[in-house]
Amino acid sequence: MVTAGIDMGAKWVKVVLLRDGEVIARGKALTGFEQKASAAKALADALGQAGLSADAIDRTAATGAGRKDAPGSPIELTEVTAAALGAVQIERSARTVIDVGAEEGRAIKTTDAGKVVDFAVNEKCAAGSGAFTEAMARALETPVEEIGPLSLQSSQAIPMNAQCAVFAESEVVSLLHARTPKADIARAVHDAIANRIVSMARKVGINEHVVLIGGVARNVGFVDAVERELGLKITVPPDPEFVSALGAALHAAERRG
Amino acid sequence: MANVAYPTEPLKCWARAKELRQRYYEDYAKAHDTGGLRWAGGAWSFDAIPMGLGPDVYPLTSEPYAASIAFNREFSKRCLEATEAKGYARDLCSYMRNYWGSLLLNEYAFGGPFPRPDFIWQDHICCSHAKWYQVVRDLEDDIPYYCIDVAVGPYEEARDRQHRVQYIVDQMHQGIEFLERATGRTYDDARLIEAVKNDCRATSAWAEVSALNKTIPAPLDEKTMYALYVLGTLHKASRDVADFYEELRDEVRDRVARGIAAVPNEICRVITDTQPPWGFLKIFRYMEKYGCVSVGSLYTFGLIGAWEDKPNGTWGPRTTPMAAGTPMETRDQALHILADWTLSRPEWQHFYSPHLKSQLMLRIAKEWQLQGVMLHYNRGCEGLSLGIAENRLALIDAGLPVMVFEGNMGDDSEFDEDATKNRIDSFMESLGIKRPGEEL
Amino acid sequence: MTERFAEWYKTRHDYARAWKERTGGKVVGYFCTYVPEEILIAAGVLPVRILGSHEPQSVTEPHIFGMFCPFCRDCLAQGLKGRYDYLDGIMIAQSCLHIRQAFTSWVQHVPVGWSYYLPFPNHVQSRAARPYLVEELRLFKEAVGAWVGRPITDADLDRGIATCNEFRSALRELYESRKAEHPPLNGVEAMLAVVSGQFVDKTEHTTALRQLLDALDGRERRDPKIRLMLVGSEDDDVEFIRMVEACGATVVTDDHCTGTRYFWNNVEPGEDRLGAIADRYLTRPPCPSKDWPTRSRVPHILDLADRWGVQGVVVLQQKFCDPHEADTPAIIAALREKGIPSLFLELDVTVPVGQFKTRTDAFLEMITADDLF
Repeated sequence: MVTAGIDMGAKWVKVVLLRDGEVIARGKALTGFEQKASAAKALADALGQAGLSADAIDRTAATGAGRKDAPGSPIELTEVTAAALGAVQIERSARTVIDVGAEEGRAIKTTDAGKVVDFAVNEKCAAGSGAFTEAMARALETPVEEIGPLSLQSSQAIPMNAQCAVFAESEVVSLLHARTPKADIARAVHDAIANRIVSMARKVGINEHVVLIGGVARNVGFVDAVERELGLKITVPPDPEFVSALGAALHAAERRG
Repeated sequence: MANVAYPTEPLKCWARAKELRQRYYEDYAKAHDTGGLRWAGGAWSFDAIPMGLGPDVYPLTSEPYAASIAFNREFSKRCLEATEAKGYARDLCSYMRNYWGSLLLNEYAFGGPFPRPDFIWQDHICCSHAKWYQVVRDLEDDIPYYCIDVAVGPYEEARDRQHRVQYIVDQMHQGIEFLERATGRTYDDARLIEAVKNDCRATSAWAEVSALNKTIPAPLDEKTMYALYVLGTLHKASRDVADFYEELRDEVRDRVARGIAAVPNEICRVITDTQPPWGFLKIFRYMEKYGCVSVGSLYTFGLIGAWEDKPNGTWGPRTTPMAAGTPMETRDQALHILADWTLSRPEWQHFYSPHLKSQLMLRIAKEWQLQGVMLHYNRGCEGLSLGIAENRLALIDAGLPVMVFEGNMGDDSEFDEDATKNRIDSFMESLGIKRPGEEL
Repeated sequence: MTERFAEWYKTRHDYARAWKERTGGKVVGYFCTYVPEEILIAAGVLPVRILGSHEPQSVTEPHIFGMFCPFCRDCLAQGLKGRYDYLDGIMIAQSCLHIRQAFTSWVQHVPVGWSYYLPFPNHVQSRAARPYLVEELRLFKEAVGAWVGRPITDADLDRGIATCNEFRSALRELYESRKAEHPPLNGVEAMLAVVSGQFVDKTEHTTALRQLLDALDGRERRDPKIRLMLVGSEDDDVEFIRMVEACGATVVTDDHCTGTRYFWNNVEPGEDRLGAIADRYLTRPPCPSKDWPTRSRVPHILDLADRWGVQGVVVLQQKFCDPHEADTPAIIAALREKGIPSLFLELDVTVPVGQFKTRTDAFLEMITADDLF
């Protein structure tokens, strides 16, 4: 059986194709303004890789903020359920899943079957999401993919108030004016966002095995800051941004036809 | 479990509730036409006491009034803007900000200019209560103002430490002196005693209505309860409200006897917490698509309801002083009874410790047979959101599924409807409840 | 001479541990300055006010909803992180809802042997408040006596009252000296002198205050440039005050619970000792949460501004502090009416110094420009 999982994220659409529990292809497209077209593109991309046509898909499930716009009237499930299913599939012992995407961060407590026990979501605030790092990278005039490695070169911690992205951005500007090394500012930015994310994660409780997923998990500076704030090592699966799409594909496979 | 369908029917006394509420706001506005008096105060004010001034003394309680404003999102927006323009912080109590806005704009939510009160009769347990009307006097000076501090600790302790009750009674006695001075009227103790009896009748009957919701299927859903409990926040010491609640209680007893449900597809029972986002009550209807019914909350049960432990160990309506045979013949006796009665209010206990509230919520979870709890982290009310994070931890510790949604009872800019629906979806998924329309 | 206070401020926990070691006495952490320290001192207990550490933290989110003030969360963080592990007990006198949560969560999650919730009247302006508070103080005195294993006598109370009075009188004198055209100490020094007094043994602290007072004449006087007053909620943000004073101003007085509100009035000794203590706390310059129906803070603040020759007021409060937010517009309006400009700022666990500096500079420039015309 072939199933598709589509994660209609705020910034990217991610697609995972699954055959009998094995990932056979992935696709990704910028969400942009034409969500439906982007999703179709990501799906076509994945089908192309797998060498399949659309009607080879037995069932599709969609998750993410734009899931209602996913092609092919799929089964719907929320980001929370999808993230837990996907994370536990990759890391069987994961009990706390932290998912940081472009516009939202969430923490999930799960069972070994990927069943959600409790969850917390950061509320209407950029300070706990990928958008925050992007804004700060802009203020630092550094490409967003470089800000993580840059922060690892820092030699000092500078406390930064991360209650508000707008405030934080002007803090970055003040620090630049005060000739603070960029690496230290980059670390302060990551510490600030990690502080927000860990605060939220503590609400659901931190269990030994923490898995970090979502696009922001690719940022090594952020991962380092989260580990320092938690005081423990965390797992970042390969391709962390596809985990929720994988969860959706698994959900589709579990449903009987 | 797929196609459960309980019988349902509308409430017979619904129209009467609507009429009482409408007349309340009209009576207040028109009080001066017939030489009557108007006063402003809180939903928890001891409204029985000004009733000793005569039959033509009409209150406007500020929280339900502000909730009425919030329900009208366009007017609410203008009110909030007017308040902010005056320099008041956006994170203050959103009821207060709506109320001040209505005053500043000089617009009454029910038409016409804002009817200025003749005096203010407030009570104080939340930090914002006394400050609310202090600011009203900044905006409209010269309105005589009296406020009673009721923050004397949990009832369990106050009952055994009479000086705490006495502090309230002393303030009440002094308050009556204030009322006589402020209005030039002579105080009538017989009216006070009658009003205290009404208060006890009304609040005990409301608790019984709430307790009847332990039944499966629930005879009432919380969205309907909001429209009914509000009368107790308007004028719990009036004869009309006491009579109405007794009538309602009889009708709900009958619904229980006949198995009438509020929501025909009830499969999942939850409670909420704190005031809802008044502009978005449709989220309750969204939940109902899943067969998920909110059967109430400590807020709807205990904001005005009077409760006690029953001999069989359950939680039920408090026995009125009339039924208990407690003498109530003098002003002092009536004031003591009123103070003691009110101090047992469930929604006052968490002001001293969130753990007292957690215990009450766990008790409700058990007796009302709940599958989960939805906590509204309400940025609009620091008093009722007090300790809510600890409540969440305690409920989870006890094994109860909990969902949190953030919002604001009176400022719709702080509520995200889509995000909340998404959260409800996640919560339902985690409870294993299927999406509406999906086959099992 | 003021370094001692700065040192105490920085090493408060070491100080308390050493005090315990030295005296074998009990230490009680308290929230809010409505706690009658006289009674704790009478029992030989060291009261230490629990304050925050001004560091970002991620441990309080599960316990306190984010709409409550950063101060109460910072305080609770100290407990959750074990910084106050030497405490024998904690207590609160009922004041605002925000700080109450730091107390109730602490009781639940931080192991401590003894805790006490002192129900304190909010209606301090009512004549009903006194008998109620006197009875609460009696219950409190008995509870403390039972806890330390020795009833508190009248002589103990007299000692507690005298110790606090001497301490408060010395702080009053210190503040008097700031009325001078060229004050002998700056705002940071004054703040540290008051705040350290909230967790150092009062007798020892008074001795240090007396030494400073004796040495004031010999101190280098400072051209205050612009004389400022701070008005608002709890504030021990030393970095912020240092920045303000570095911009070309001197803080000469304040209305804060980490300032004048804490020490302004003394207990008037009398036969009825608990009555005397009650009177002191009922009539002290109030926290806005207890200042009603009359807003007595406004004339008091104007009086301070007048007597200390204040040219500008920085109104600063903990973010989300509702009682202060209900007073602020009235205070700003009253100051404006007296021709005193004000700058409003919100405090968080850490403050964005860069932005606040820009605003402070602009505020001071505005005052200077006013003086030119």
